[in-house]
Amino acid sequence: MSYVYRSGHMLSFFLSRMLRAAITILLVMTFAFCVLRLSGDPAQILLGPDAPQDAIEAFRERWGLNDPIVVQYWAYLKSLWSLDFGVSMRDKSPALQLVLERIPTTLQLTIPALILKVGIGIPAGVYAALHRQSIADRGVIMMAVFGFTIPSFVVGLLLVLIFSVTLGWLPSGGQDTWMHGILPTLTMSIGGIGILARFSRSAMIEVLGQPYIRTASAKGMSWRDVVWKHALPNASVPIVTIVGFMIGSLIAGAVVVETIFSWPGVGRLLVVSVSNRDLAVVQCLLLVIAGTMVLANLAVDIMYGWLDPRLRSKSAAH
Amino acid sequence: MLKMNRRQALGLLGATGGTLILPRFAIGQSARPSISIAVQKITINNTLDVWYEQSNVGERVFFPNLWEGLILRNWMGNQGPVPGLATEWKRLDDKTVELKLREGVRFHNGDEMTADDVVFSFSAERMFADTQPDGGKTIYEDNYKPKTDKELPASIPGVARRIWPALRGVEAVNKYTVRFHNASPDVTLEGRLFAFGSQITSRRAWDEAKSYAEWARKPITTGPYKVVEYRPDVSLVLEAHDDYWGGRPPLQQIRFVEVPEVSSRVNGLLSGEYDFACDLPPDQIDAVEAASGFEVQGSPIMNHRISTFNKYHPVLENPLVRRAMSHAIDRQAIVEALWAGKTRVPKGLQFEFYGDMFINGWDAPAYDPKLAGDLLRQAGYKGDAVPFRVLNNYYTNQVSNAQIMVEMWKQVGLNVEIEMKENWGQIHDASTPRGVRDWSAGAAFNDPVATIVVQFGPNGEVQQKKDWTNEEANKMADIIQKSTDRAARKKAFARMLEICEREDPAYQVIHQNAVFTGVKSALKWKAAPAFAMDFRKENWSF
Repeated sequence: MSYVYRSGHMLSFFLSRMLRAAITILLVMTFAFCVLRLSGDPAQILLGPDAPQDAIEAFRERWGLNDPIVVQYWAYLKSLWSLDFGVSMRDKSPALQLVLERIPTTLQLTIPALILKVGIGIPAGVYAALHRQSIADRGVIMMAVFGFTIPSFVVGLLLVLIFSVTLGWLPSGGQDTWMHGILPTLTMSIGGIGILARFSRSAMIEVLGQPYIRTASAKGMSWRDVVWKHALPNASVPIVTIVGFMIGSLIAGAVVVETIFSWPGVGRLLVVSVSNRDLAVVQCLLLVIAGTMVLANLAVDIMYGWLDPRLRSKSAAH
Repeated sequence: MLKMNRRQALGLLGATGGTLILPRFAIGQSARPSISIAVQKITINNTLDVWYEQSNVGERVFFPNLWEGLILRNWMGNQGPVPGLATEWKRLDDKTVELKLREGVRFHNGDEMTADDVVFSFSAERMFADTQPDGGKTIYEDNYKPKTDKELPASIPGVARRIWPALRGVEAVNKYTVRFHNASPDVTLEGRLFAFGSQITSRRAWDEAKSYAEWARKPITTGPYKVVEYRPDVSLVLEAHDDYWGGRPPLQQIRFVEVPEVSSRVNGLLSGEYDFACDLPPDQIDAVEAASGFEVQGSPIMNHRISTFNKYHPVLENPLVRRAMSHAIDRQAIVEALWAGKTRVPKGLQFEFYGDMFINGWDAPAYDPKLAGDLLRQAGYKGDAVPFRVLNNYYTNQVSNAQIMVEMWKQVGLNVEIEMKENWGQIHDASTPRGVRDWSAGAAFNDPVATIVVQFGPNGEVQQKKDWTNEEANKMADIIQKSTDRAARKKAFARMLEICEREDPAYQVIHQNAVFTGVKSALKWKAAPAFAMDFRKENWSF
């Protein structure tokens, strides 16, 4: 009975989340659809300031831009329903193909950067919390503040000046070899390492001050077990939230870095497509980005339940 | 007596054959340098079609390395016409030009270029679609039709008709002779033949491509370099076309890399990643030249920065206010402050390469704040605001230039307010009052019809967008466009300048545009006074 009750609630939990996700994506798409069309004429942008009026008119007619926005929106929804994401106005390639071609390129940067963020940021924060007020703690705080306060475009240019221009060790931009990925990956990870170190430290400090930690220690449990079995799992909820955001931004989180390092990923495609009002490509990109973010949030919700049974029962009771 | 068995005889034959082939093979394989060029943008529209990618950045990758016309532009000289794929041409009458094609020209696919390819390059399928020439009907429509239909981008026929408004068709007289037939008399037909767009492509390559997009990513042309790989928004690789009619190209490979950030282009140049860094703003020149082994090349190009007036704005409808605006600007100060003196104030909206159509003695409005103040008083100007729509550095130094001009206008009592806009659609938005906007004016070929008539004439963008019109100026534009009397044309052009820049200002010229390229000093290469980068053998030495 309890199993049926629980699985029924899990189903309703999932359905409500999925419905919420679908509404979120629809709102994002509708907002983007309207804003893109109300903030600039793609024909004028793509054909340039010297284009003859005949050419602009022919372009608008070809892409249905003369139709009322409601008609355009309805046509867009209908094509989405049949999984037709449209064609790029710039070069007439399918929008989905353009987006899918760029995703692996971006992931070549963002996945190693995520590994560095998690692999360095969380241990550094935990270590600092366990050695509070020590020189190591001060060092971690200083580096964390440095990491998340300096904008990535400054870090990127600084790294290029040091490692490319002055030392000549690493390439300054492009995507030709694995060496080209080192500086952008480092640039992307420095901020995230700082953020995760800071959050991990705060979360651990808060948990280490809890009575159950003192109780576990008083019961004679080794400090190592106290940390691994009681402190870390309890401190991981806020950390999972931050990592969830980072996973959600795996696809679209490299806009600035890709621009600085001329890395031909999703971020570059987004900037170019938005500035050219390449409507189908921007809409397809936003759909993929919103979808990733929603999925990451869903994964985080599930992780919460796994990490903290209290949250699971709260959801079920809800 | 020499004895040879069959194997030895075959070996000797092979060796003899080898001695004949080897020199050519060795020539083809001898080491040639490859270069890498960092540019802000490779193309705007992600194609390599001259009719679809009518942009400054397109000019850089197309000319003279990829696309060639029957008549070429003298890129390293006066920008005037020189023989290209045609060796000679003559007028048969006011409406017809006959050209003799260069024999033995090979396309990148190995085919010889013939009259068929020229006819196709100016056909309805390639350029005009179903548009008809002004004052006539298309001829030779059914000749030399390609075997497969391609869907042209919707904008191409309009753009093509701007350069060739009255072209009825091209006749293939024989394999190496073609005739261009115009519907109306036109003294600028030869000029139109070297305009951006009038270049020749292989008809077979068009036929064989599965779609327009496929063809436009790798067009087959006759230029010294051919497309190897084009990754839109990323890179373009050109490779030597060793059968080039003008001699073996000096470079093995040219790689254009898209690097949107100026600091990244400069850093990439200084770190050795790139051999050239294009689109440098003037404030980066010192940084590059301070580094050992690097220099900056560049000069004014055939393009003027202008700002246009909307004469239907309540304040600007009085021409005295627009005249005051023109006289309030110290153009030389802008050239010195923003361009380090590396460009100049143009002599109105005209270029020296117009030749005998250039109006000597004509100048941009003089900087005269007192006169500007007097004109405002005569106009009864009460201090109402005039909007000035500006893009975020679409043109080099655009925002700084706008801020300086607003201060100069303020000094004579004009209240001009900058409105930052994101794109051209917002610049032209007529739902709110339009006042002043930035623009530039180039010359597709060496005649004023390519500049002032195209931009400010009755079919020009300014009048189409309802910014300005003037009945007399339109009559002058008609004379410039249609008359075959050179003296009458020149007189009409002078009068049109007078109207558009003095009496009823449509625009004011600011300065000539300039481009700057950072380059390794060891490379023996010179920048052209254009966006185009010449990598033919005449402009490269080891």
